[in-house]
Amino acid sequence: MIGFDAIFTSFSAAFHYQSITVILGGVLLGYIVGVIPGLNRSVAIAIAIPLTFYMSAYAAIAFLIGLSKGTAAGSAVSAILLNTPGEPSSAATCLDGYPMASAGKPRKALKVGLLASVIGDLLATLLLIVVAIPFAAVALKFGPYELAAILIFALVFIAGMAGGSFLKGLAAGGMGVILGTVGLDPETGAMRLTFGYAELMEGVPILPLVIGTLALSEMFVQLDEYRRNKDAAVIKLGNSADDDLSYGEFKGTLPTILKSTGIGAFVGALPGLGPSVGAFMAYGVAKRSAKDPDSFGKGNPNGIAAAEAADNAVIPASYIPLFGLGIPGSVSAALLVGAFMIHGIQVGPLMLRDHPEMLFTIFSGMIVASLLMLAVGWYGLRIFAKVTSVPPHIVISVVIFLCLAGIQVQGYGTFGLIVVFGFAIFGYFLKKLDYSFVTFLVAFIVTPMLEMNLRQSIILSGGEISILLDRPIALVFVVITVLMVLHLGWSSYRRWMQVRRQVPQV
Amino acid sequence: MIRTNFWSGLGTALLAVVLLAWLIPTYGGGGFAIGMQPQRLATLGAWLILGCSITLALISAVALLRRSAPFIVMPNVGQLWHMLWPFLYVLGFIVLVDRFPLTWVAPLLIGGLLLILGERRWYLLLPVAVVPALGLYVLTAHLMRIGVV
Amino acid sequence: MKMQLLGTALLSAAMAVGVAGQVQADDFPSKPLTLVVGWGAGGSTDIQARVLANVLEEQLGQPVNVVNQPGAGGGVALSRLAVSDDEGYTFVFGTSMTITFGPLSTETNYQLDDFRYVAGVTLGQSAIVTGEDRPFGDTWDGLIEYAKENPGTSYATQTALDRMIIEYIAQQEGLDLRIVPTSGGAGMAPLILSGDVDFAYSGGTHSGYADSGEMPVLLGLAEDRLAAYPDAPTLQEAGYDINAAEIRMAMVPKDTPDAHVERLAEALEVATQDERFIEITEERILMPVTWMPEDEVTQTLDDQVAGYKALLEELGGLPQDEE
Repeated sequence: MIGFDAIFTSFSAAFHYQSITVILGGVLLGYIVGVIPGLNRSVAIAIAIPLTFYMSAYAAIAFLIGLSKGTAAGSAVSAILLNTPGEPSSAATCLDGYPMASAGKPRKALKVGLLASVIGDLLATLLLIVVAIPFAAVALKFGPYELAAILIFALVFIAGMAGGSFLKGLAAGGMGVILGTVGLDPETGAMRLTFGYAELMEGVPILPLVIGTLALSEMFVQLDEYRRNKDAAVIKLGNSADDDLSYGEFKGTLPTILKSTGIGAFVGALPGLGPSVGAFMAYGVAKRSAKDPDSFGKGNPNGIAAAEAADNAVIPASYIPLFGLGIPGSVSAALLVGAFMIHGIQVGPLMLRDHPEMLFTIFSGMIVASLLMLAVGWYGLRIFAKVTSVPPHIVISVVIFLCLAGIQVQGYGTFGLIVVFGFAIFGYFLKKLDYSFVTFLVAFIVTPMLEMNLRQSIILSGGEISILLDRPIALVFVVITVLMVLHLGWSSYRRWMQVRRQVPQV
Repeated sequence: MIRTNFWSGLGTALLAVVLLAWLIPTYGGGGFAIGMQPQRLATLGAWLILGCSITLALISAVALLRRSAPFIVMPNVGQLWHMLWPFLYVLGFIVLVDRFPLTWVAPLLIGGLLLILGERRWYLLLPVAVVPALGLYVLTAHLMRIGVV
Repeated sequence: MKMQLLGTALLSAAMAVGVAGQVQADDFPSKPLTLVVGWGAGGSTDIQARVLANVLEEQLGQPVNVVNQPGAGGGVALSRLAVSDDEGYTFVFGTSMTITFGPLSTETNYQLDDFRYVAGVTLGQSAIVTGEDRPFGDTWDGLIEYAKENPGTSYATQTALDRMIIEYIAQQEGLDLRIVPTSGGAGMAPLILSGDVDFAYSGGTHSGYADSGEMPVLLGLAEDRLAAYPDAPTLQEAGYDINAAEIRMAMVPKDTPDAHVERLAEALEVATQDERFIEITEERILMPVTWMPEDEVTQTLDDQVAGYKALLEELGGLPQDEE
């Protein structure tokens, strides 16, 4: 087992000014790329990989850790200010972040997001350090049965909390399911709804879909409003008096942050679910357990806190199966595998035996990166919060350009531009007609994973449902899901009866 | 809102029917599967849409009838044009970007939109139109080294 | 001012297009080249391609830019290359499976003879693997015996090709297998390590477990035995007449001038002797570097396609005919 000395040495190495410089460089690069709408981690990686060729193994990995954290925090900034998530997992942050920023509180929204992400990230990192090796084995207990049960649970849960018009929310969810099945059928190899486009073989590309439905469509909505009432600024100026985060408000979001960190860490530790599921699930839980669920989606700080804390907690937690078992649980984990590979280190359970110092160097680097992220974000948001005071017509023009540029830079080509445009029209109607794009996005993201795991379960069990008796964890989730469906059905029936009684009076 | 609900419900129901009757059976893929038929989930989704949208349309229709509100209100043509032109504008530039790199087209895209939106101050127009394109050029040609996009 | 600027922009765009058309064959390359990777940034193909680009840059005297065009298992990059008329300035670095089995298993807008295969530089190490402590041990014969006695033995597939191979084997040996789909090494590894699935296809993930022994190889799918698992038999040694060897290679459209292809091949041959390329490939990605000239690669690919077609017919027709 590794001694205290080694841990101490690795931490003092991480706090050395050279390593701080390297991590800071990564954080800054990631943050800048992440802040620009439409650009995300894969752009940052493309810039960074050639740079890391010239670094030592330690510096390269520290740099990439910083980069990975920087893009996550940066993409929250563009999600909050411009409704344009850099990473698909920041889509949940848009839901409350953007309304809050548009309501003249961009600084408050950014601060809540930043604090939640740093806390979520730090706590999950500590969890990783404490339980990485022993806990990895537990992750293997979650096979296809358990994952399928959890995903069904998540889907029903989030559909149930869509609020507003339940019927319209479900219809949007149905659309998400259909689009989620597009592409090569994993079992028969048949092409589904691809209409002969090779680009659709692996499904509708998620980034153009998210940018189209959230960002570009929003620009069209704003253009509409801008033309209608030219004098009233669409995005309000961000210098009102209550646009700062008080300690009391922060304390109010703390329970949500802690709860969401737990959810994010749980989701992250299971290989194959990913940050989008974690963020939306935490958002759902926060909304469900809130006293005022109707304020969610309209700028509730708890919504931002939940999404950001979970999104960022998923990433360190996804290193648990990576270091314990060698299974990369997220894009960011896969990125680290690549970096290790370049520098000749095989990631996996043998790392503790062969390169213990490297493992602890990573852990300490992660903590340093978190703290640096807080500093960069804190000072950065003073600058970025000003974005909302730029006149709307300039913001609209530039963001439309950035939406297209993000697609071109990431190599989707003309096909990607058409997808973005198509989903901008789709998103425009969702917004104008008040259909929930939350259920749409969640259904789209969850469907492919759910389908794969359901299939595996059905084939492996030979279609026998009694297998659930051997898999208690899956059984628990199935039972909870059934109870929730009953509860949802009952409460919406009661609501409907209430409305019915009121109708004659209208 | 009730009227738009009625029409959007009707519209999505129509979409679901098209999906169920034509698109999914024809293009949904086939083949023998033990786990799940390739079309299973998509069909489920389409039924979900159909069920919800028909219910929505019915509820809205009942509400409209009770209030004896009109079902059809012709939209203003000018309003329609307001809604439409931004889409056509962006679509036009997507066609352009198919031919020429976005980096060269970008100043036109941004500048043109600013002009349409009534911006006439050249000292503002020029940098706003050129700087993003310049940024894109530096990013792609020098930092990412993927060539001009 | 504004108009002038637009004019300049349009003019330079027009010039860029014009120049590309008039490049002389003899001074190739006279402008930057583009190396397209059909997979996302950070993957093993991508990492290898970036080192390769660095080496080629020195050889060709022009910048070599790496562009990722992920999708359809490398198919998106190929379908764009098929319609490219860039005379070798744009080339794809990818794996043979995309071009040999891709057009057979799905509808593609490209065929084997739409490209020239400049050279093969790396041999794939894909395999059929299992986990530790299985009732059938860690040998292929043990597995076959076990599967014969236990109908419903499960296999996790990742690609259409390995599914076909396993279906062929099941037919030959009279096995009743449960074939489970999964995606990528990250999807396969948990199934194997937890014991939910008995055995599985692995593209290269198993190489990382060579030291720990958690993922024993039952059967190598390369032409020779795998570098990291010299004890596992190859497909042919196990008695199946299939050549599923995967080659990583550079491809250009078929109408690329000979002179350009030769120049690229020269540079690639030097790259296969370059220390950096050898190190990243053999010590990091754990695949052997090789040198296969154009005619050899083309011959191998032709043979593989013919073999796959025969196999598909034996299994009951091409997939497209089933529907």
